Amino acid sequence: MGEIIAYIAMGTGWTAVMTFGSAAIGIVLGLPMLALAQSRFSVLRGIYHAIVHVVRGVPTIVWLFIAFFGVGQLGLTLSPVAASLLVLSIIAAAYMAEIYRGGIQAIPAGQWEAANALNLDRLSTLRFIIGPQLFRAVSPSVATQIIGLLKDSALVSTIGVADLVFRAGIMTQYHAHGLYMFGIAGLIYLALSLPIAAFSRSIHARITRRYALA
Amino acid sequence: MSDFSWLYDWPQFIPDLLPGLGVAIMLTLSSCLGGYILGFFLALGVESHLKIVHYAALVIVELGRGVPILVLLFLVYQGLPQLGMMLDPNPAALAALMFSAAGYSSEMIRAGLNSVSAGQAEAANSLSMSSADTYRFIIIPQAARISIPPLVNLTIIIFQATSLATVITVPEIMQRAGVIGAATFEYMSVYTAAAVLYLCITIPGAVLSGYLEKTMGQKKRSKRKAVKALLSGSPTQSATVA
Amino acid sequence: MAGPFVSALALSKQFGEHRAVDNVSLDVSKGEVISIIGPSGAGKSSLIRCLNLLEVPDAGSLRIGDTTIDFDSGRPGKAQVARLRRFTGMVFQSFNLFPHFTALKNVALPQMRVHRRSRAEAEERAMEELRRVGLAAKADAYPAQCSGGQQQRIAIARALAMDPELMLFDEPTSGLDPEIGAEILQVMRKLAADDMTMLIVTHEMEFARQVSNRIAVMVDGAIIEQGSPEKIMSDPEQERTNRFLSAVLGR
Repeated sequence: MGEIIAYIAMGTGWTAVMTFGSAAIGIVLGLPMLALAQSRFSVLRGIYHAIVHVVRGVPTIVWLFIAFFGVGQLGLTLSPVAASLLVLSIIAAAYMAEIYRGGIQAIPAGQWEAANALNLDRLSTLRFIIGPQLFRAVSPSVATQIIGLLKDSALVSTIGVADLVFRAGIMTQYHAHGLYMFGIAGLIYLALSLPIAAFSRSIHARITRRYALA
Repeated sequence: MSDFSWLYDWPQFIPDLLPGLGVAIMLTLSSCLGGYILGFFLALGVESHLKIVHYAALVIVELGRGVPILVLLFLVYQGLPQLGMMLDPNPAALAALMFSAAGYSSEMIRAGLNSVSAGQAEAANSLSMSSADTYRFIIIPQAARISIPPLVNLTIIIFQATSLATVITVPEIMQRAGVIGAATFEYMSVYTAAAVLYLCITIPGAVLSGYLEKTMGQKKRSKRKAVKALLSGSPTQSATVA
Repeated sequence: MAGPFVSALALSKQFGEHRAVDNVSLDVSKGEVISIIGPSGAGKSSLIRCLNLLEVPDAGSLRIGDTTIDFDSGRPGKAQVARLRRFTGMVFQSFNLFPHFTALKNVALPQMRVHRRSRAEAEERAMEELRRVGLAAKADAYPAQCSGGQQQRIAIARALAMDPELMLFDEPTSGLDPEIGAEILQVMRKLAADDMTMLIVTHEMEFARQVSNRIAVMVDGAIIEQGSPEKIMSDPEQERTNRFLSAVLGR
């Protein structure tokens, strides 16, 4: 029994790599996408909305199969890990960009106006006034999104990445007892989401303590 | 990268995938209908003053929200037989998706219920309305305004999640696409066709949900504006005073 | 410098169908305190926001000190806007303090970024301005830990630390209880006594009467008359002014 648990738990490695890898890439890639969303040119804003709608409108498993089987058929063979990381990162970027966009809208116009009236240039305004407030505004949603990515990462098992679900599946094939095997995997997912949720709550508490966003 | 024929080949696979779209839609509607009713009672359970009910409901909600749907599918399809319950693929997928929908929806329904001020229930009580009538005529109509936009959104998410049922051989879009792909090796074309089918539902869905969010929120905004205007006194009012 | 310190000529600003500022001309001399009064929606805020280019006028011209911008020849460039804004300090109805900075940093950071003052220099100046508005003790507090009146005084200190030669006040007390508004008005009286040039949009008629050299009455986007407080308050030329004053003063 202990061996089985250990075998499944080893999948935490790939699950964590997929989750945090795509989260990190998505958090960074979301910024240029935000710039696109805030562009002065309506064509660029249109492109942004098209990208976000298509990326989020197609189920993750479809993207994974397109990246792994479809692109492979075209001659550019991606490993399961590369295809998974690519797909999850692009999806993460689309979600992060939407979170950032919501955060920007939540910052009162008066903040931009005050910075303008004080003659702060655009870079200083973004760096000192808008940036920090945006960071605080989006942190809880970003944490929630990372938990979403954790759950989405389970799909990489369908193209052969040896994550928690993949290993629980193998154990079920050998020993049956699917309730135990997938139960163990499910519990590990819950356990992994707890520290992220706790981190999110602590950030949120720190913000509200510091300055109540009235 | 020799072959770009998929760029114009893909529509030919749409007819083969269409029956799968029907299955996906039926699966979505049935699991959401059941899930949201369950979610409503879970919401009441979480709000319950009885500690046992509160914690039981909370555990179910957190399992539904915290465990990946893929794991739920395997738990139902490959796990329940361990307890002597063999489900066919379709009911197994329905059960897993319904459980998930119940968990997510209960939080949205709870947010709606909590948005109705306590004074509303007190007023109904003071009029001797029964608690069932209070919910039916007073609380739920007001809560619906808050809950419906996210529930529409959740329905789209559940529709997308039906794609996972392919792993337990439910004949939805992705399962059919996989069969065709294996037979023709036209993976790119057939999965592109699948993606387009999903977009045919999800993009109008996203537009609808955005519209509902805006209109249901706007009523509140304009009300706030009206109050503000009342307080500051519009020019026409000062003219009347004079 | 010849002529008045500020000279707005035929400024107009349109929002969609609505002409918020309609062909307004206004001169302000150094050290002068002018109050702009009038019914809600008359364009008072729009006018004052045009003067530091938070709203860019569609037509007319604006000169402050030695900097002139002509709006008839298109939108002004960034550098031009920045040059003109250096003369002005703005106080908003909603304070607009930066919630993630302490009072001290709210006042110090803009000096460091815009005037390139050292941290020590900027903080020393910030303390000086906070003392001037009576809030040295709140230097390390965050805006959320301050009352509305205190927040507005910090906002005034923040504007003053940028060495403005013209202070613009956009209904600085209307978000506050009358009693708390009084502490803001006290700070503004002191500024007026120190010969600060001030343009004030206000609903506080008694304050406007006491502190202003001149009162301008704005209705439907236009200044319909201006004059000494005594003249405007007791013997206005325009029937519309009379009606407005009767309504707000309840006489």
